[in-house]
Amino acid sequence: MAQVETLSPSVSANGAGGEEVLSIQQRRWRKFRSLKRGYYSLLILLGAYGVSFFLPLLVNNRALVVHYNGKTYFPAVRDLLDLPIVGQLAGTPFISGEELGQVGNKSECNYRALKRQYEQEGKGNYVIMPLYPFGPIEDISVEGNEPFMPPLSRTEFGELRLFGTDDRGRDVFARMAYGFQISFSFALLVATLSYLIGVPLGALMGYFGRWFDLLMQRFMEIWGSLPFLFLIIIVVSIVRPNFFVLVLMLVIFSWLGIAQQMRAQFYREKARDYTAAAISIGVPTPKILLKHILPNSLVPIITFFPFAIVGDIGALVSLDFLGFGLAPPTPSWGEMVSIGMDNLTNGYWWLVLVPLGALFVTLMLVVFIGEAIREAFDPKTFSRLR
Amino acid sequence: MVEYFIRRILLTIPTFLGSTFVVFLIVQLAPGGPLEQQIQALKRGGEAAGAGLVGEQALPKDAIEELKRFYGFDKPIWQRYLIWLGVMKREAKSYRIQPGVPRLVGEKERLVLVKEGDKYVLRNADDPAKPVGDWKWRREVDEETGQERYRVYREAFSGILTGDFGRSYRFRKPVLDLIAERLPVSIQFGIISFVLSYAISIYLGVQKALRHNTPFDFATSSAVFMTYSIPGWAIGAVLLVLLATDRFFPIFPLGGFEDPLYAEMNLWEKIWDRAYHFVLPTIAYTAGSFAVLTMLMKNSLLDTLSSDYIRTAFAKGIREQRVIWLHAMRNSIIPITANIGYVIGVFFAGSYLIERVFDIQGIGQLSFEALVARDYPIVFAFTVISVVITLIGSILSDLALAIVDPRIRFK
Repeated sequence: MAQVETLSPSVSANGAGGEEVLSIQQRRWRKFRSLKRGYYSLLILLGAYGVSFFLPLLVNNRALVVHYNGKTYFPAVRDLLDLPIVGQLAGTPFISGEELGQVGNKSECNYRALKRQYEQEGKGNYVIMPLYPFGPIEDISVEGNEPFMPPLSRTEFGELRLFGTDDRGRDVFARMAYGFQISFSFALLVATLSYLIGVPLGALMGYFGRWFDLLMQRFMEIWGSLPFLFLIIIVVSIVRPNFFVLVLMLVIFSWLGIAQQMRAQFYREKARDYTAAAISIGVPTPKILLKHILPNSLVPIITFFPFAIVGDIGALVSLDFLGFGLAPPTPSWGEMVSIGMDNLTNGYWWLVLVPLGALFVTLMLVVFIGEAIREAFDPKTFSRLR
Repeated sequence: MVEYFIRRILLTIPTFLGSTFVVFLIVQLAPGGPLEQQIQALKRGGEAAGAGLVGEQALPKDAIEELKRFYGFDKPIWQRYLIWLGVMKREAKSYRIQPGVPRLVGEKERLVLVKEGDKYVLRNADDPAKPVGDWKWRREVDEETGQERYRVYREAFSGILTGDFGRSYRFRKPVLDLIAERLPVSIQFGIISFVLSYAISIYLGVQKALRHNTPFDFATSSAVFMTYSIPGWAIGAVLLVLLATDRFFPIFPLGGFEDPLYAEMNLWEKIWDRAYHFVLPTIAYTAGSFAVLTMLMKNSLLDTLSSDYIRTAFAKGIREQRVIWLHAMRNSIIPITANIGYVIGVFFAGSYLIERVFDIQGIGQLSFEALVARDYPIVFAFTVISVVITLIGSILSDLALAIVDPRIRFK
């Protein structure tokens, strides 16, 4: 924290003797990078999220490559395109077992079994499985999937189950990994969309005030008092809740807080001298709003962004836990916990601790980033005398 | 000042009406409501009984009319809303009647519809001289068959403004009784976690301010933000697995609010049993609530500590503890009181998520299950309660602020 002093404006402004002069954004970025915990959290989180887009190639029950009688197939690759809506994975066209030489299997090919089969036959056909050969949705109906396998146990064919299986024989590690992709995409999307709605509306309310502000405030008061859960329950009873319906539902409530924040900021900045000066020299209103006031009002909501993400991840997990989130069999942390809570007395601890552990770690990383951003944007120094 | 608060109170009225009306509208127009559920249930029953009729035919039109009347769906929505509010009369009692045949209404009273001249008149069946009070009658004509029917009814103002929250569809009990049953649990958790969160955040905030930028400060900041970001029920679930299941350390009970044998215990055992069952849920309830307060307390104390009068106090040689707790705290505590008005919410504290994790039959469970089952009277009651708490809470907070800080002038 000692870096606050070296990076404070007076020092860099005085740095005429060859020291570079930094813009405020550059100074913030340097400050952020100097806060190791937040910076590394950001790297880890971005890295994990980036990797999560390639999950179908890393954690999947579909093979990466199948070579059968001179033909080559890439079953896992098509899953790549499906990722943001993993719920629909189940509906993707698949290659049947018969097509690849699994006699009598008209449904989807079991690639793990196929691999063993090819190795036994020794005809030069081969299967390359992903690093972790279990998918998030395949359940007990697939050979070798037993319910409630404990973590680190092995299937009868010797494959490792890192975090065991759940009540339907689905792999907990695979579901956790895909759950991260879904939770984080969800939170990013909700936070971004609610910023896109909340920032302009709040800005207009704060700047123009009068009847527009008064009306909007009453509207927001009423809107905010609506029972959110009840609306979700009604929507869920009408349409099947997919990823985007849930995003929409959350956005229509979460923009309120951001609009309030922006309104207060614009209201305050409007009264400042520089705004009055801009108005008096005839700067057009849109330019005043965008170029003069907006940059000065963004700090509080930028520093709030990580915490908005945290809130949205928590909201999705809670909804899934209640059973009003993403439709099954979408892998989601909340649904995993609710299975675990239903089986609490049986000692299947991993069903609760694995998804919640993933949740805690994710939230922790985001919180560390948030702390660092706040520190970088708003380095408060207190002088204490005694 | 008084004017300001009067205006604030008056402004709550349109907001209250607006939000309750919107909720009312959504709830009543939402598909799958109690009427449809009931009709579906009756249809299924009819088919199961082998009535041989399928679809709408299985239910006589009469029965549907009767159901509509029971759920109040026979009127336009704005009338329903006014009736629900209690500013429009509703048919409190309503009976079918056939001209000339006495009908028992209420406990003993029997009414009869008699033809006098070419008009029908309602009379007391046992004593024609006795007045019939506020009983009225009307004629209904069946649109299809053209048959005439008669009905006696009595009207009354009865809605939330008169304190009538209606009866639950599922439990067939007054909503207020149902809520009252669950209140003790909620109040206990509400008060304990309220007191705890304020006590923790004031103490922790002060310590963090005094040790600003020390390892203690950084460590507690992270811990506080973590508890803030993780949903309380998730913390509860992890604690439950670690500290209540046989797999790890079975120290606490697996859930519930009290021991099954609670009623037979003596006072000390009861207190012990309560405390024993309360530990984990209380942590879950309190966990997320003190983060904001702690940071507020810390920053506000830091601000105060750098002001001139504190420097003067130190310069005079007053002991540090005294300066902090007596001089600085008076001004630093002000931001903490900004939200204290919401203390009235402790009476209805209860999160269904936490109650589900710990298997507690609380107020959250009641409202959640009412939502799922479309038990509208309960849903409305909770909507009213939460709107009122929010509105009054914010006024009370302002009032508290004005009392604590004489510099604040609302206008």
